[in-house]
Amino acid sequence: QTAVSSGDGDSIKVFVRVRPLTQGTGLTTDGDQGMCLTVTSPNTIRLHAKPEPRTFTYDHVADVDVTQEAVFASVARNIVESCVNGYNGTIFAYGQTGSGKTFTMLGPSDSNSFTDDLRGVIPRSFECLFFLISREVERSGSCKSFLCKCSFIEIYNEQIYDLLDSASASLFLRENIKKGVFVEGAVEKIVTSAVDAYQVLSMGWRNRRVASTSMNRESSRSHAVFTMTLESKETVNEVVNIRTSQLNLVDLAGSERQKDTHTEGSRLKEASSINRSLMCLGQVIMALVDVSNGRSRHICYRDSKLTFLLRDSLGGNARTYIIANVHPGSKCFGETLSTLQFAQRAKLIKNKAMINEDTQGNVK
Amino acid sequence: MASSCGPAWRSVCEKFRSAQHQSEVESRKDPENDPFRSKYNARELLREIHCTLKSLGGGENDEDGEAEHLQRETPGDEHRGGGGHPGDSAAGMRLARLGVVEYYLGVNHVETEELSAGEEHLMNCMNLLDKCAISRENVSVFIHVRNQLGILWAGRDEIDKAQGFLETAEAIYVRYVKEDGQPPADLTDFFMEGEYEITPQERIKRFEMAYTHTLYYLAQVYKNLDEYEKAARYCHITLQRQLQFDQFVPLEWAINAATLSQYYITKCCYMEGRHCLAAASIIANQAGELPSEAAAQESEVEGEKREQLQQKRAEIARCWIKYCLNLLQDAKKLLEDNIGELDVERQEELKRGRRREEEQEERGRKSAVLFSSSDTFDSICALEEKVSCSFPLDFEEARAIFLVGQAYVAEAKDYFQMDGHVTDHIEVLQDHSALFKALSFFEEDLERKCKMHKRRVDMLEPVCKDLNAQYYLLICRQLQFELADTYYEMMDLKLALANKQDELDAHTIKKFNHLCNASIKYYQKFLDSVRSPEGKFPEKLDEEVLRPGLVAKFRLARLHSRLISPDAPTQLQNLNRSLECYSFVVRYCEENPEARKAVETELELSEEMAGLLPLKISRLRAKMVSST
Repeated sequence: QTAVSSGDGDSIKVFVRVRPLTQGTGLTTDGDQGMCLTVTSPNTIRLHAKPEPRTFTYDHVADVDVTQEAVFASVARNIVESCVNGYNGTIFAYGQTGSGKTFTMLGPSDSNSFTDDLRGVIPRSFECLFFLISREVERSGSCKSFLCKCSFIEIYNEQIYDLLDSASASLFLRENIKKGVFVEGAVEKIVTSAVDAYQVLSMGWRNRRVASTSMNRESSRSHAVFTMTLESKETVNEVVNIRTSQLNLVDLAGSERQKDTHTEGSRLKEASSINRSLMCLGQVIMALVDVSNGRSRHICYRDSKLTFLLRDSLGGNARTYIIANVHPGSKCFGETLSTLQFAQRAKLIKNKAMINEDTQGNVK
Repeated sequence: MASSCGPAWRSVCEKFRSAQHQSEVESRKDPENDPFRSKYNARELLREIHCTLKSLGGGENDEDGEAEHLQRETPGDEHRGGGGHPGDSAAGMRLARLGVVEYYLGVNHVETEELSAGEEHLMNCMNLLDKCAISRENVSVFIHVRNQLGILWAGRDEIDKAQGFLETAEAIYVRYVKEDGQPPADLTDFFMEGEYEITPQERIKRFEMAYTHTLYYLAQVYKNLDEYEKAARYCHITLQRQLQFDQFVPLEWAINAATLSQYYITKCCYMEGRHCLAAASIIANQAGELPSEAAAQESEVEGEKREQLQQKRAEIARCWIKYCLNLLQDAKKLLEDNIGELDVERQEELKRGRRREEEQEERGRKSAVLFSSSDTFDSICALEEKVSCSFPLDFEEARAIFLVGQAYVAEAKDYFQMDGHVTDHIEVLQDHSALFKALSFFEEDLERKCKMHKRRVDMLEPVCKDLNAQYYLLICRQLQFELADTYYEMMDLKLALANKQDELDAHTIKKFNHLCNASIKYYQKFLDSVRSPEGKFPEKLDEEVLRPGLVAKFRLARLHSRLISPDAPTQLQNLNRSLECYSFVVRYCEENPEARKAVETELELSEEMAGLLPLKISRLRAKMVSST
């Protein structure tokens, strides 16, 4: 069974990173040096499943010795570059808690991120972004100017919280014909340098921890979305040309928590204790409507907040990379398998919007 | 029911009440690091009750007074024939009681994630009940225990086992209602007395609820078994029973019914679909008064309520739109000939068929389960009567349905406004356009047909212009394609009209070329949207744009060859462009053979035209040379 990484262009790309075995993380195989996987080529990984090993293919597979710089170069550089040129980009980090998500995205927790060689994708993206911006400004002879704004939100239990304004109540998603989907009332901080941006990020990250302890919500169950909105203004012959683009950096809820919602199999939903509400009935009906084909129908149940917010990143008009972090220890086999499977499915995510076209009466 | 005395029995009842309280009330407050504390307390109490019951049942002779009393006492005072009723003998009563305790122990173990132990207790309950006939006293236990076993086995992925238990529960209910039908005892009746006894109404409610749950679980089971039709039926009955026994949250119920209608309309069951929709609308209206805007500004609670009510009602309106749209589109499919025009013979035949049906007065063919809650039933029927559920066969009938759809479009747009709900708003617009398109099929006057398409253009064009493709690429593509298609259709209509004229006047030519060019513009925009950021057209089209992409090329070919031009060089240029597009389709399918299936007819014609056009072009060239 081989997964085929398909398509080119703007479809979602998947980067799998295997973290090294270390001591004392709770996930390590102290004593047990067994590995559950082998990286067999720069884009394949073999999982030692029984009875038959399984091979998965992705856009890129990085083994334990890959450097932070190399991860940035293959995942983020392109996305940041096209962002400066006016295209939207999104980077997702996905994986089991302890598989190296934070290390990959931010770097070692106790370091000053801008001097450390081990700094992660996010600080490097900021550096790259502002380097490209200053180069553009210079090249244009200051005809071009940029405005960068950051927002940082958290989605927990289908509620949206502003991480830059911990006092705010939950926020709503809205759409605008010009600027797409956005979180209404989210704080936007203007930043002028990579250090600025990183400070905003760190502040939000701290708030996330504070909120998770004070409000009794688990950070591993919430998604965090850091959005950088880039606006460029170019004046050529008194014509002002404005372009905007977005860079979304998304820390998805720990994959071990996704299990609760996805791999339910045939389990039946029980009637809730308040007997009036048979919550699952709607889902059953929705599934029935979903399988019917051809005819046009309306489904009254909304997308999840995350997929709605990032609908363009999922099969729309954006460059999107998913970094799937896995832990190679044999104890992590189950989680690793599910992460690899998720990453494989992610490649198939396509926005379902179809072009309506009458197949009859075409040729007259 | 159970009047009783004696301290031992009273203590059993007290333990039972306490167990219930621990399990249902206290357990919600359990700390996270000890999540099952109250459940374990309840389990202990149940075990004690179990022991007491066991010890009381030892032999016939060595009973003390209280035990004798326990055995004599019956929860019901009826005298019925047939052996094995718990009410008939003290032993039967004891078995039934033990069964109930086993049931609660089973549920308790399942809730504390000890599934095997839970299963054992539930099976003990089943075995004890096996010795009893289904009676007023224990029919509830029969159903409850099977519900639980159904859930248990489904959780273990053995869905057919779950199905077996649940279907038996269903059969037991049906049989009981048919053979007895008196309000049965509740599980708690065995251990409640005096002030704790529940009212007969409550007893009925709980019994019916248990059965509603059976159906609710069966709906899920059938869905998991891919038996969608059955699953839909069980969803429908569940909804119906929720309404009948007044056990529902109005907005939730309304949305479920509206969604179910969408299942029916995709299965062509318009009568059922309409019934669900009418019920959804009525119930959604019963969900409460819409708080005023001022009230919504004042209080957050009122604001949220207003938002909820408006949104859900708008969602239901959108389900109605789909109903009208599908009904029109299906009727169109039924009535069109192989080139997509109204087949008059077929129309006559269908009309005759309908008259026959009406004569036979098939009013009673409503096989669907009706939402017949007495109060609401009349209003549901009244709403149903406002729109037909049979296929429209002529313009007048189609128009009636169209107008209903259009009214719901207005209602949906009221909530789904462009500012704030871009995607939803545009989807409603697209449906509105589709309603016009379907209606235009029934219009025989070509000029008026054309005007309907113009309405489509008027509603979609401004949106298409303003919409930011960076964030709404896919919707942009849909709009571009639909606009191109609409202009194309208008061009065809103008052509048909022009063919009736002897001589084409300048005005007609201008109009015709305008339509051609507008169509060309949007097909071209659509094709450009497929290009890479660097402006390159992909060598391989993505699956979702494969057919539309090739069809766009094919239509461009035809449009270019249709453009009317007085001067030969422009004519030549147009023909060359046309040839280019035809050849593109042919070449693409040669290089990507898998694409052939998607565009069979277009490919065939493209091949033919790619063969013929060069001849026409060279003739035109020759004419140009000779005329200079």
